[in-house]
Amino acid sequence: MHWLNWVIVVAYLGWVTWDGVRRSHGTKELEGYFLANRSLPWWAVGLSVMATQLSAITMIGTTGQGATDGMRFIQFYFGLPIAMVILGVTLVPFLHGARVYTAYEYLERRFDAKTRSLTAFLFLLSRGMSCGAIISAPAIVFSAVFGWSMPLSVAIIGIPTVIYTMIGGVQAVTWVDVKQMFIIVGAVLAIVVVLLVKIPVGPADALAIAGAAGRLRAFDFSFSLENTYTFWSGIIGGTFLMLSYFGTDQSQVQRYLTARSVDEARSSLLMSAYWKIPLQALILMVGILVFVFYLFQRPPLLWNPAHESRVRAEAPAEFASLESRFVNEYTARQMAANNLASASDSAAVAVFRAHERQIGDIRTEALALANRVTGEPSRDVNYVMPRFVLDYLPVGLVGLFIAAVLAAAMSSIAAELNSLATSSVIDFYRRWVRAEATDAHFLTVGKIATGLWGLFACGVALYAASLGSLIEVVNRFGSFFYGSILGVFLLAMIPGTRGWGAFIGLIAGMATVATVAFGAPSVSFLWHNVVGAVTVVIVGLLLGRSRTPTSARA
Amino acid sequence: MTDRTNADRRLFRRTLARVLAMQVVALAVLWLLQTSFTP
Repeated sequence: MHWLNWVIVVAYLGWVTWDGVRRSHGTKELEGYFLANRSLPWWAVGLSVMATQLSAITMIGTTGQGATDGMRFIQFYFGLPIAMVILGVTLVPFLHGARVYTAYEYLERRFDAKTRSLTAFLFLLSRGMSCGAIISAPAIVFSAVFGWSMPLSVAIIGIPTVIYTMIGGVQAVTWVDVKQMFIIVGAVLAIVVVLLVKIPVGPADALAIAGAAGRLRAFDFSFSLENTYTFWSGIIGGTFLMLSYFGTDQSQVQRYLTARSVDEARSSLLMSAYWKIPLQALILMVGILVFVFYLFQRPPLLWNPAHESRVRAEAPAEFASLESRFVNEYTARQMAANNLASASDSAAVAVFRAHERQIGDIRTEALALANRVTGEPSRDVNYVMPRFVLDYLPVGLVGLFIAAVLAAAMSSIAAELNSLATSSVIDFYRRWVRAEATDAHFLTVGKIATGLWGLFACGVALYAASLGSLIEVVNRFGSFFYGSILGVFLLAMIPGTRGWGAFIGLIAGMATVATVAFGAPSVSFLWHNVVGAVTVVIVGLLLGRSRTPTSARA
Repeated sequence: MTDRTNADRRLFRRTLARVLAMQVVALAVLWLLQTSFTP
């Protein structure tokens, strides 16, 4: 890689670390460290909410998904604006008005200590592991693309993030997030411009070809519990998932608890609602344009460069045979694409689609070969974008793209570390270990907790390859309780419901989701959130409501 | 304080209206892309 790209990456890492660390000035109290004294403007909180949700997987995986699968992934986000509006008028006023540090703290005021501790424990368990997964995903890609060792890749992403989050607290997380969002959007827009210049046909023809390949199909109105990417899964399941994530997950709740007022907190969530679908469509469109670009420029048979060189070395005859078929088919598909651009009649579309299917079949065979040789699942889709960037972007923009991937990863990790530390200190240390101490003491414990969670996440990321199945188990376990926790918060807003009902409801919700997940494994995880939330509310209501509304007694 | 609260509330209402408008536009653009270019 050109030295200028490295200069940009190193400058970015130095800049965000310095910018985050300098935010520690004036942070002498616990409320300042964890909640910025509830003083942040809505637009900064809104950008931080967006940056937290947008991880390196979005930059690498979603663009790759756009290239291989098209626009249909956008349906996953159809529920987000609905969820944000619902949260804006329901949960946000409750949580912001309660002047709490964590969402779970509110549950003790409303219900009891055991409900608070269980929900906080489930959050720590799932977010601690997912934080490791968020570091490991781009680290694995960097290792394969640049030949770095995993410890180096993890250190480059993890160490600066842990330093600025630990020293600067939530102020550092939010203000660095704001800058990182600009870097991410700037890099995506720059890549769109480069693609439009490099694709040899006009934008209308490029869209016609993408459409012929089915890449512009954004809506699927079929109703299927098994398919995650349909209109109905997105609208119903997606709304429940986003309600759970933005309403009950401390990594997001903490963002808007830092806002100056309830209305500013609401507005920050609405800002994310405003931009999410257009931004996600833009990121998918980058992938679709990369697909069109590779119709006129021969792509590699395997996108993962590490797998490609291993298969080439260890199964040369088989790979050469596949590659030769691939080159022939690619040439035929390129001609078909040119014909399609000049005359988009149904015959030209049929010929193009036939060659596209052939290319897909050859790739499937190559992936099976790579799997046999390396013994690893290929996850080839994650390498589409990095390969394009390294092979075809001009000097400088490559560095900007890598900085943007790092920014996307670091913004999510920083928010998660900050929220993990907050919940550890507020929901466990201050609640069960030491209730009375000076702010300085809790501040020191908060910084130590951030550092320890950072070490834990980096450790999980380092061993992610060998812990692969364990992480999958934890993620699956996470989907068991996400909707159920939402159910507890919904119950909290119903006057008169009791702590015992909420606790039993939470356990019943998780058990029901586990039954659905194991009994009908083909049902999409998006529906687990609906099942969990509805079960908790029904059980909580059935177990009776107290005569006096709890909120009146509190 | 009241002025501040009223201003925040106006901001919220204005943002809500913009969010709804943006979703209609975004979905319409996606629908047009699908129907115009998918044979």
